[in-house]
Amino acid sequence: MVDAARHPKIDVRTYTQVERVEGFVGNFKVQLREKARYVIADRCNGCGDCAKVCPIEVPNRFELDLAPRKAAYVAMSQSVPLLYTIDQEACIHCYKCVEACGALDAIDFSQEDKIVWEDIGAIVVATGFNHFDPSVIPEYGYNQYPNVITAMEMERLNNSAGPTVGNLIRPSDGENPKRLAIINCVGSRDKRFNPWCSNFCCMYAIKNAVLLKQMYPEIELSIYYIDIRTPSKGYEEFYERAREMGIKFIQGRPSLITEDKKSHNLFVHSEDITLGLVTEYEYDMVMLNQAAVPQPDVDSVSSVLNIQQSPGGWFMEYHPKLRPLDTPTDGIFIAGACQGPKDIPASVASGSATASRAGRILHSDEWEIEPIIAQVWEDRCVSADGKKCGICAKACPYNAITVEVGTAAQVTTAKCHGCGGCVAECPHNAITQLHYTDAQILAQIRALLADKPEEKIFAFRCHWCSYGGADMAGTSHFEYSANERGVRVMCSARMDTDFIYEAYRLGAGAVLYSGCHPQDCHYITGQLVGASRAERLQKIFDKMGMSPGRFRIEWISAAEGQKYANVIDEMQQTIDEIGKEKLLAEIESMKPEMEKRARRMYEVPDVTDASDYSDKMKIAMTLEVVDIGK
Amino acid sequence: MSESPNPEELRIGVYVCHCGTNIAGVIPPDEVAEWASHLPGVVHAADTLYACADSGQTLIKNDIKKYNLNRVVVSACSVRMHEATFRGAVSEAGLNPFLMEMANIREQCTWAHGHDKEGALKKAKDLTAAAIAKARFLAPLEMITVPVTKRAMVIGGGVAGISTALDLADQGIETILVEKEPTIGGVMAQLNKTFPTMDCSI
Repeated sequence: MVDAARHPKIDVRTYTQVERVEGFVGNFKVQLREKARYVIADRCNGCGDCAKVCPIEVPNRFELDLAPRKAAYVAMSQSVPLLYTIDQEACIHCYKCVEACGALDAIDFSQEDKIVWEDIGAIVVATGFNHFDPSVIPEYGYNQYPNVITAMEMERLNNSAGPTVGNLIRPSDGENPKRLAIINCVGSRDKRFNPWCSNFCCMYAIKNAVLLKQMYPEIELSIYYIDIRTPSKGYEEFYERAREMGIKFIQGRPSLITEDKKSHNLFVHSEDITLGLVTEYEYDMVMLNQAAVPQPDVDSVSSVLNIQQSPGGWFMEYHPKLRPLDTPTDGIFIAGACQGPKDIPASVASGSATASRAGRILHSDEWEIEPIIAQVWEDRCVSADGKKCGICAKACPYNAITVEVGTAAQVTTAKCHGCGGCVAECPHNAITQLHYTDAQILAQIRALLADKPEEKIFAFRCHWCSYGGADMAGTSHFEYSANERGVRVMCSARMDTDFIYEAYRLGAGAVLYSGCHPQDCHYITGQLVGASRAERLQKIFDKMGMSPGRFRIEWISAAEGQKYANVIDEMQQTIDEIGKEKLLAEIESMKPEMEKRARRMYEVPDVTDASDYSDKMKIAMTLEVVDIGK
Repeated sequence: MSESPNPEELRIGVYVCHCGTNIAGVIPPDEVAEWASHLPGVVHAADTLYACADSGQTLIKNDIKKYNLNRVVVSACSVRMHEATFRGAVSEAGLNPFLMEMANIREQCTWAHGHDKEGALKKAKDLTAAAIAKARFLAPLEMITVPVTKRAMVIGGGVAGISTALDLADQGIETILVEKEPTIGGVMAQLNKTFPTMDCSI
């Protein structure tokens, strides 16, 4: 901690929050809110005279509310920076602190939050984890029985810097416990709360038991566990050592804790799988080893930094093996337990690893980004003919398009992130997206629907989420109907109405319009553009009398493999239920309308080529091995 | 904007990967390759045990020269897995990396349709054909280069964030370490001794 504060290249900004992130790899702009401490950082010398005279005491969150602190406070004596903060919610404005500070004059009640912008090349997110609150588990009596404490409370109670100076006492009577039980997997591996293993708690239980045994050799210690997990270096040996010290390990998850009202002693009811018995033992104190859970503000951090979440709310990596610390946004990385429960060695290792990932960028003078950007066909843009339009500029989440009547719309290359929203929104087909042109996507749609289209579930997927969800379905071997056919575009914003009409014109049995959840969008508001278009389409198809379920809108994250598989299977069921005869009749009857609606697209430069090629492709694909002379 | 090539000049090479048994355990890659070899614009199609392995990449690179290919389709795994690998391979053989297109016949086909081998084979063929169809309209593109601001930001001052900041700073990179609490240290600072060495946490 102190090393970081003293490092000449590190600028520690505490009591500061990230509010906005704009820009792209190598060129981020980050908005910070430096919260008012009401203490002038340059003047405060950390003497603590202000706290000494402060008459207000509130619970100290750092000490898990086991000890008080003043309204003028530092969290702990080793705080970095050692700089006092005045808690305005608790302060009664008696100004005794101002007086005590005297000539130093470090207290300033007129301070306000400061908003600052920083230019940044790469960002590492290491926002950590939170502890599960066991008071929601009715059978353990936390918050009802004074001598049931959490692991974090234990950390403070046996810590020489803690409120009891390391003397472990029972909250009910201040006595040292003689018999102590530690219960593992509290809120972890429990389908009612969190399905995951919290990774470090087994070792954490053993650590606390070993520490207590060293401090109080007479203490009787029992650890209740489902499995003891010790996969890292030196961990199994540490577990052995604990057993040799006489710590008792009971395999079983306690079903109930009861209390003797008079002594406040506790009875732990649990199966002992090794003995094959149901047991009930008496203890003076019980420690609940809480699960690690995501931070409560995980959703807002996700949306500010555009990071997707795995199930449960952990930040999701781009690829679990190949890019385990990258996010889908180039230049933004994740370290530590915000990604999933990690112990200290693993957190340090991931920190070093992300420093190396970020270093690749930060040691370069230039960085390459994909040229998947929008380009305007100037001769087709109505703005060039003096007409008012500007629809493309409205669809752009990055203000990358300038429209002035009299000239064609202009795309600023450096600002365009390549969602394709403007391309799909332009009513005159005057914009294209490099690498995802209308002709390219059309050629794919036509190839995929060349043979028996009525049997196909045609899925439009965005690169970052629903395509990733389909990958996740496969990686997890969640099987679904093989009649699914899909194309990938960068964002649901690119899913042009014309593509959907074309898929139906070709006779698709059903069409899925899928992308990210709104808060996950890689392009700020691209999904909103896609979603409102999809809803418009739904209304049109309803009006046309399309059978319900033949058009479906779903938002699927890259973590939701099961959802992707389920959606496809449900769509398969829908077309099965409609029945082939009715389906073919419906497709046939709607074909002219679909063709009429898709027609606009055929005017797009090079789409005519696509049609010629698609005809050839269809013949080649649907005939048994025939050489058509290419 | 680049001109779309004249169809007569199209020379597409198609590579269907076995991925060991990940793909070949469900569908016959050689049948997909043979089928694809008859599609318009395809001048050469082959199956390969591991397209991403050195041998697979060498095959593609040599074929680009041997058959004078101007498009490459790799029918294998997800773009999230190996798009960069194959872009690199074709680039080394002198082809613009954006003239390579992938069909995902592993994650989105054989791994998801192991129960329906016939359906998986049809889908693998369709996905390969769609990639070939897109390849027909691909145009060479150049990467965009952007300048880099040589400053890092680490969000969160717990043990992971502190480690990251120290390692970045030791590399000489100016680093801002942001923490929402009044002190850095995170959960680690609240701990007593830490396992398995029992040293103190701060």
